[in-house]
Amino acid sequence: MDTSRIRNFSIIAHIDHGKSTLADRILEITGLINPRDMREQYLDRMDLERERGITIKAQTVRIPYKAADGKDYILNLIDTPGHVDFSYEVSRSLAACEGALLVVDATQGVEAQTLANVFLALDNDLEIIPVLNKIDLPSADPEAVKKEIEEAIGLPCGDAVSVSAKTGINVAAVLEQIIVKIPPPAGKAEAPLRALIVDSWYDSYQGVVVLFRVMEGTITHGQRIRMMYNNAEFEVIRLGAFSPGPKDFPSFGPGEAGFFCANIKTLTEARVGDTVTNAVNPATEPLPGFKEVKPMVFCGLYPVDAAEYEILKSALEKLRLNDAAFTYEPETSQALGFGFRCGFLGLLHMEIIQERLEREFGANLIATAPSVIYKVETLSGAIIPVDNPSKLPKTQEIAALYEPFARLEIHTPNEYVGGVFKLCEEKRGIQKDVRYLTATRVVITYELPFAEIVYDFFDRLKSSTRGYASLDYEIMDYRASDLVKLDILINGDPVDALAVIVHRENSYKFGRALALKLKRVIPRQLFEVIIQAAIGTKVIARERNSPIGKNVIAKCYGGDITRKRKLLEKQKEGKKRMKRMGNVELPQEAFLAALKATED
Amino acid sequence: MLLYIHVPFCRSKCRYCAFVSRPLDMAEVEVYAAALPLEIRHFGKKLGRPKVETVYFGGGTPSLLPPWALSRLMPEINKHFDLHPAVEWTFEANPDSALDVEYLKILASYGVNRISLGVQSFSDAALTRLGRPHNAKTAMAAVNAVRQAGFVNLSLDFIWGLPNQREGAWLEDLKMAVRLRPEHLSCYGLTLEPGTPLAADAEAGGLELPTESEQGRMYIHGAEFLEEQGYLQYEISSFARMGFQSRHNSGYWEGRDYLGLGPGAVSTLSGVRHENPRDVREWAALAKTGRCGAGGVALTREERVREYVMLSLRTAKGLRLSIYRRLTGIDFLKENESLLTALRQKELIRLNNGHLRLTKNGFLVSNLILERLRY
Repeated sequence: MDTSRIRNFSIIAHIDHGKSTLADRILEITGLINPRDMREQYLDRMDLERERGITIKAQTVRIPYKAADGKDYILNLIDTPGHVDFSYEVSRSLAACEGALLVVDATQGVEAQTLANVFLALDNDLEIIPVLNKIDLPSADPEAVKKEIEEAIGLPCGDAVSVSAKTGINVAAVLEQIIVKIPPPAGKAEAPLRALIVDSWYDSYQGVVVLFRVMEGTITHGQRIRMMYNNAEFEVIRLGAFSPGPKDFPSFGPGEAGFFCANIKTLTEARVGDTVTNAVNPATEPLPGFKEVKPMVFCGLYPVDAAEYEILKSALEKLRLNDAAFTYEPETSQALGFGFRCGFLGLLHMEIIQERLEREFGANLIATAPSVIYKVETLSGAIIPVDNPSKLPKTQEIAALYEPFARLEIHTPNEYVGGVFKLCEEKRGIQKDVRYLTATRVVITYELPFAEIVYDFFDRLKSSTRGYASLDYEIMDYRASDLVKLDILINGDPVDALAVIVHRENSYKFGRALALKLKRVIPRQLFEVIIQAAIGTKVIARERNSPIGKNVIAKCYGGDITRKRKLLEKQKEGKKRMKRMGNVELPQEAFLAALKATED
Repeated sequence: MLLYIHVPFCRSKCRYCAFVSRPLDMAEVEVYAAALPLEIRHFGKKLGRPKVETVYFGGGTPSLLPPWALSRLMPEINKHFDLHPAVEWTFEANPDSALDVEYLKILASYGVNRISLGVQSFSDAALTRLGRPHNAKTAMAAVNAVRQAGFVNLSLDFIWGLPNQREGAWLEDLKMAVRLRPEHLSCYGLTLEPGTPLAADAEAGGLELPTESEQGRMYIHGAEFLEEQGYLQYEISSFARMGFQSRHNSGYWEGRDYLGLGPGAVSTLSGVRHENPRDVREWAALAKTGRCGAGGVALTREERVREYVMLSLRTAKGLRLSIYRRLTGIDFLKENESLLTALRQKELIRLNNGHLRLTKNGFLVSNLILERLRY
């Protein structure tokens, strides 16, 4: 097809700034979806995404559009995941586009992640069209936000469109700007095929479904193709595009986007960012930008009931089929029994997977507090990665400890600058930059240990800026740190799943806070509970929950028996979510107490 | 079989009571007195004039039933059930409605041989706070009346853990109770039932309840005192002089069959449980059409096992391990090995003669123990 009639674009927006709603309106206005069939956030396939308002997997949709110039065009909306954990996936989606709509809530202004994604888009030479959303709201101030975009990004906003994605005002004008401003794709049809993998997922009927954008050459139904990362070859057995439902096509040329199936069994054979080429007469160079994504955050996942181990295992297998960034391997905890050490891109990714396990697979889980990967240099000079605090070698075997550092960018209204500084300093941050975007909006840059972000950073930032700040981070490097392992003992026995690695300077304060937090989250029970925090053999904090002294049903005669039995059954059922350790019962919250230890 | 007759009327509502009751309404008593004989007859016939070892009139306040009502009900019981020659026939009464020796003699003439008086406390202030319609003096007078009418089996009900009550005051109550030489005592820890005025007061922070540890001392020291005085504790809340344990109540805890008649009464016969409608008129309508007793639910084996464990562990005799094994095929001790070891160390349970028993301290936290045990 004539590339001059193709426009490929994505939408960049902060969560809740209206990306999905704008996409919904575009699908409606172009007539692709009958308003009768419309449902909110049409492009988000999974329940979880619709509920949380986050797009996790990328989507492409092929939209035929008759423009004001009277010509027929094909618009490919290449939707991106919208969270800091998925910045690599976002960069690949953007690389498949020539332009992007920058959607900013006119009542809120620019947020950190938006800015990060805009810079990713600029890196990919995308044409950016600013769109100010929610102008139907009385608090909208599009002029001020335009000024902010100009100052923060240096993007002229003279042609910015003010819309209401909710009511549909001006959305048609956005479509016209896409035609006029975004350049058509380049790329020769006769060159060897080079198609960029934007996303892939596992479908139990078709195997792996690959979303792609042809950069050069042609992909045809029945063609033998090769993945350039691992040279695996496949035959295209289905080729099509979502419009909005899947439609088959015989071939796609440069600039077109769609999906194919090729009997691919695992996602690792169709990695995001990889290049698809011909098996015969292949391209010599892959497209730039491929990266192997690695999990950064780890936690233990254990079945509450040991009998559910197999259920959890097969649930993890299924999830892994659809999520190449997620890893798991068996691990054993003295406290929790048999389970898995799981790796995630970041905290949101972790939460999503935990939620999905509980919801889709019905697995009752205990999750341990997340950890980053530390690097241990032993006396013999070996470097060992440690993703589980309880696996840290003994102090006398350690020559040095290294932890990952991240570069953190926080956008905040100026009145909260003091609070952000305080938080970052407390979290061992090193201030790098403070920049005023406007008189009232500030970008603060810090370098700080990634572990501090993984802990309660998000919640703390939210509360110290009343939710007005946003942040973005990227992992930089490993640096030597004076770290120690903090053990938690329950009734004298160390509980491996509760161990944490902390900076020596904070260790006493943290140990006391954690012991106190555990006292609060572990309910009083039949037996006494003594909680101790220790570094090495030295106990630095001790808390105690006395046993409950009275809990008895006073009367139980003929008419009471059913009710009392049911009450007891309910109480017993409630206990199933508790993990028993010796004579003590620990609730799930105990294993996450480290995350909330310093919150109050 | 145990026979229970529920009398749903009260003169006034006590502030801790969750039972749905309305002020005494003679028209309703009329409906009740007309329908109960029909229900008695129905079951007497249906079960083939079954043997009955104990009869229990509970409430509500059975002693509010006027003599004319009794004359309609009581003879029906003897007529339609085969009462054991040594039947234990209990009648619950409130002190303020049990002062009339003549009335009590009427009860005796029908075969009642055990009176259970709801004294609750000898502190007038406490009784007022509970919304009880009597005072300490009335309670003493009622005890005298019961004895004068010739009853040799008297039980008194008390509540401990009351607002503003201290351990000393509770032991004082027990001392006074013991001086009256009742054959039986029931001592219930105050339970704040959701939805009652007392629970609402507690939620609003307006109640000064004894601390948990003081309540524990009240229970343990009270029980020890009663045992010194010759009252054996045979259940969590029940104490009796030798030979005066309530056979009726013990029957519930032993899992025997019971037939419950009257509004809201529950029956369990051959593993089928049935509950009458609570509303007097609704219940009476069923009794009149002979449709009472329909719609019982068979207990599953698991439910029966759970009830056996829950009920037997209320008693001083405890859970008989061989019965558990026969019911389930499982060795209770092995199933709960490590927990039982810890419970023994804390002296919350005792094991002997093939029985598992809770100690006094064990009774006090029996819910927690039942929650933990696997059965």
